[in-house]
Amino acid sequence: MIKRVEVNYRGIFQKNLGKYIGGDIVQIASRMGKVAFSNGRYSDAPERNGIPCKYFAFVSPDLSEEELEAECGAKLDIDEADVSVVVDDTMVKGVEPWGWHGVRAINEKVREKGCLLVVSQHTHDNLLQFIPRLPFSWRLASVEGPASLAGLWVYKDDLTRERVLGAIAAVDPGIIAIEAVEAYLLERTTDKHRAEAARASYDATLRNIRVVKAGEGAEWHHEIPRLPTWKEFEDGGVVVPAVPRGFKMGPRGQTRNDAFKRGTTKSHRPVIRFDLCIKCTLCWYDCPDECFDPTDDGLYDVNYEVCVGCHKCAEVCPVPECIVMVDELKFNSDASPWEHHKKDAQGYIKWAEEKKGLDRIHYPHVTGTGMEIREGKYVPPKPEKGGAAAGAKA
Amino acid sequence: MATVAEKTNVWEKEVLLNGCQAVAQGVKLANVDVIAAYPIRPYTEVMDALSKLIADGEFDSEYIVADSEHSQFEIVKHASSVGARAFGGSSGTGWMYGFEALVVTATDRLPPLFVVGNRALDDPGAFGVEHNDALALRDMGWLLCWASTAQEALEHVLIGYRIAEDSRILMPMALAMDGAFLTHSQHMLKVPTQEAVNRFLPSFDLGKRVLHPDNPVSIAPQVNEDWVMELRRQNWEAARRARTIIPEVYKSFNDIFGPRYDNPFFDEFLCEDAEVVLVGLGAVKMPAQTAVRRMREQGKKVGYVNLRWFRPFPHEQLRATLGRMKGVGVIDRNFAIGSPDNGGIVVQDIRSALYPLAKRPVVTDFIGGLGGRDMSIADCVRMLEITLDAANGKQGDELVTWIGLRE
Amino acid sequence: MATQLPVIDYEKIKKIHDTPLEEFYTSGHRTCQGCESAMVMRDFAKASGPRTVVTGATGCMYVANTSYLTTPWIVPWMHTQLGAGGASAVGMAAGLRAQMRKGKIKNEKINVINFSGDLGAGDMGLSGVSGALQTDYDLLIILYDNESAANTDIQATGLTTYGAQTTFTPPGSKHRIMQRRWKKNVAAMLAVGHPTCRYVATASATFPALDFMNKTRKALGIGGPTFIHTFDPCPKGWDFHPRYSHELGELGIKSGIFPLYEIIDGQVVYTYDARQKGRIPVREYLEKQGRFAHLVDEDVDYIQGMVDTMWNEWDIPGVAPFKAGLSVSGERATV
Repeated sequence: MIKRVEVNYRGIFQKNLGKYIGGDIVQIASRMGKVAFSNGRYSDAPERNGIPCKYFAFVSPDLSEEELEAECGAKLDIDEADVSVVVDDTMVKGVEPWGWHGVRAINEKVREKGCLLVVSQHTHDNLLQFIPRLPFSWRLASVEGPASLAGLWVYKDDLTRERVLGAIAAVDPGIIAIEAVEAYLLERTTDKHRAEAARASYDATLRNIRVVKAGEGAEWHHEIPRLPTWKEFEDGGVVVPAVPRGFKMGPRGQTRNDAFKRGTTKSHRPVIRFDLCIKCTLCWYDCPDECFDPTDDGLYDVNYEVCVGCHKCAEVCPVPECIVMVDELKFNSDASPWEHHKKDAQGYIKWAEEKKGLDRIHYPHVTGTGMEIREGKYVPPKPEKGGAAAGAKA
Repeated sequence: MATVAEKTNVWEKEVLLNGCQAVAQGVKLANVDVIAAYPIRPYTEVMDALSKLIADGEFDSEYIVADSEHSQFEIVKHASSVGARAFGGSSGTGWMYGFEALVVTATDRLPPLFVVGNRALDDPGAFGVEHNDALALRDMGWLLCWASTAQEALEHVLIGYRIAEDSRILMPMALAMDGAFLTHSQHMLKVPTQEAVNRFLPSFDLGKRVLHPDNPVSIAPQVNEDWVMELRRQNWEAARRARTIIPEVYKSFNDIFGPRYDNPFFDEFLCEDAEVVLVGLGAVKMPAQTAVRRMREQGKKVGYVNLRWFRPFPHEQLRATLGRMKGVGVIDRNFAIGSPDNGGIVVQDIRSALYPLAKRPVVTDFIGGLGGRDMSIADCVRMLEITLDAANGKQGDELVTWIGLRE
Repeated sequence: MATQLPVIDYEKIKKIHDTPLEEFYTSGHRTCQGCESAMVMRDFAKASGPRTVVTGATGCMYVANTSYLTTPWIVPWMHTQLGAGGASAVGMAAGLRAQMRKGKIKNEKINVINFSGDLGAGDMGLSGVSGALQTDYDLLIILYDNESAANTDIQATGLTTYGAQTTFTPPGSKHRIMQRRWKKNVAAMLAVGHPTCRYVATASATFPALDFMNKTRKALGIGGPTFIHTFDPCPKGWDFHPRYSHELGELGIKSGIFPLYEIIDGQVVYTYDARQKGRIPVREYLEKQGRFAHLVDEDVDYIQGMVDTMWNEWDIPGVAPFKAGLSVSGERATV
């Protein structure tokens, strides 16, 4: 018997988290007398901030090391998943890790009766708006909380790792048992609260596993690109056509690389109050992904298909509340917001404010040092006293 | 009746040139656009000669003295990418310094031409001839060809560009010539007229693959496991096609310049009724053919195969010729440490080509002439004798005999 | 040495609203959120326009932009090897010049540009860049500097800031600072070493607005080989949230740790003269990056001291680490 686990995570922000969860599964399973190994998905590397990535772990109670390796090793991707962990819930809208891969469903690898385990503050119904139906029954469970984002060097120790382990034990004790999880966590750091967090998550998850029926879920419209045979592109080979030149004012006015839109990189998207805009150009000017289309009335439309959610526009915009980053799961359309504003300016403002809500996300400079949700309008942060360098010890 | 070649005067003059200078003449006649130079013995004089031709206004080309071989080879590659006919060269350890650039030139499917003045590899440093430098390219997707005379070197600059630049091929060309023996000895050579060369060698046109603002392309984007195999297969196919295109090019050459090459891939010397032949690359042809003549005088049925093309390897033609033999002695002017039966590089390919034959000749191998050591007529006689013995069932256990080694 | 700056024939972008709207490097690349090196790509391509050929050396701006067998480039672009940036620019320029002279292609101005990263132009490819700057070809080499070997997942290079964490320089229980090298002063080094090179500059896509684009146009307009070294805050390698990319660029420049200047026909023109505008303490820049989270006061003081020396003691502040006028005995010579 083989149990396969995949961890879907946001590149760089959750690189260490994904690796730790995968590694922890192997260590816990080993302590239980099972055979296990883990690896990242090689083609994801080099990872980029926000790009969807995967980490894998394989566990068997009865196979030998070689047999497990033979079935699951020396492969680029996982065949199927008993548990598919998603540590940033915005990935349920689909994941496009690189060009010519297409946007894939988050539950693409989930097997019959397998479980999609999502770290989220959304309800199961909200999540299922985006997750495509499968021809068999599967399960959906969540670990309550926001996505834990950090960086390469400063890790965010917010117990997401421990809670995910507890939740895995809940949805599939055949992989790891909660007692073994607790024992491992106590042994690793002697911090009791880690084991306690895992157990609490285990208990909570047991109560919120939802069985998703065959055929229940969203329509899926993304196609997998067909890769050409060697003969079909022999004339070009390593020479590919450039993106054709083309620019006109207005939405979608600039030509873009249609082969790789990569809108699934984003966890948040910018919501723009066109009525507050002072037309300073900075959002368009400073966008590393060329997402804005200048319009004839001096405004800047955002192409949500290609926006990667870096937050730069929100940061450089000089007008408070003009650009606010909002949870990607609040949107089910990439239609042009400027066109909406042009058609119905007041209606658009209502729509925008409803999407924005009252919470404003604040990320510190060093992502791993925390994240705040502040209620009410955005207040620019005061210069941080202390910060990362002061008070750091050798 | 006068041939076409005799009617229209295709040869301009006879000039005293060494191998390096001969190559320079070829480059001039090919109207090369960009040359990148870097010094290393024994090929350097090619670049000396070219700079003088340019300085005297006899030839118009950009000429860049590079900061290293790696830069030198990259300059050539990128000049080629924008549609310029480009030329470079090196020897021995310098060739190895820029090896990365050579590998990618082939996988970028660009067709510049490089001369390799064969020289022993460092360490320690040694200037004399050895073939490992050029042979190191054999798997990489290059056209690889050996000149055995200075005249041949001159002509193969032209033949090389024509084959490399063929849009059905697009592989870079390495023209190898033995350091010292070819690069530095002077002969009276026939230099073709520019008019005749222009009839033979069209101007370089990369078509839709060129990097130019009128042709917006992206060349060599990063790939992953979805693409590498197909790209390799394309390169592989180009080399296969080259085997059928190469004879067409030689026919065209013969039509214009007179019947100079019977067989594009190798020359057969007294092989029609031979029972035993030696096979070699490069200047060893001279002592080997002399040895063949001497042994013929003694009634021995021996011959010599001067292998010109190493890549693409002419396995079908070699099977046909060598398959008739009782014995084949391969002269390996290279080393291949730890190889099967401890043989050199060329014997591996020869044995491999002969493998499918129901009836195979006995194959024996000779490693010699490394680091510039002579391979004398007497050495070649000895090699023929050993091969004859092998053909008559008197081969020892070893595939390899070291020739000229102090033992 | 000229005492007046030359008149360079280039179309200056005067106001941000005059920025050309058309992109020549467009959406659809796999760069990190907030990548300032991608901004450099966007800006130089925009400034240079369609009559351009570009080579990009192996590095983030190769792999991240074209993953996989796809392209965001609208201008013609070709990959080149990591250390081949300078050579690739020379090859393209020479190939175009020869063909134009021989009448094989139309005689026209074509901008020849190579971009290379830290390793490409500052370490491995330094000899090729040097060779290129000695020629008389019209070309521009851009060193896009994100202060690490970023594509290989962040290792130290010759351009990494002192003290920074990378996978090759992790702080450990025995050694807190593994990255003990001070950043190479590449732009000035190249200017000093190549007296016929007319234009060397440092820049950043972050700050000031339009500066890098105008510097690109100046370099392309002045004639001969030219070099620009850009300062690219990198959320992945420096460990900060992408939304602060622009801010970190400004802080780095205003702290004086990355001097911003041009050297035109041998004359130094400061873009941001830290002597006059004042410098913010480097701590305000360092503390916002996770790669410096392990630094203690002693380390910050050292960095501050080095930056102070750059601006207070170098004969050409921020540019050239020379102090003139020493006699053999070590005492300053009197005039």
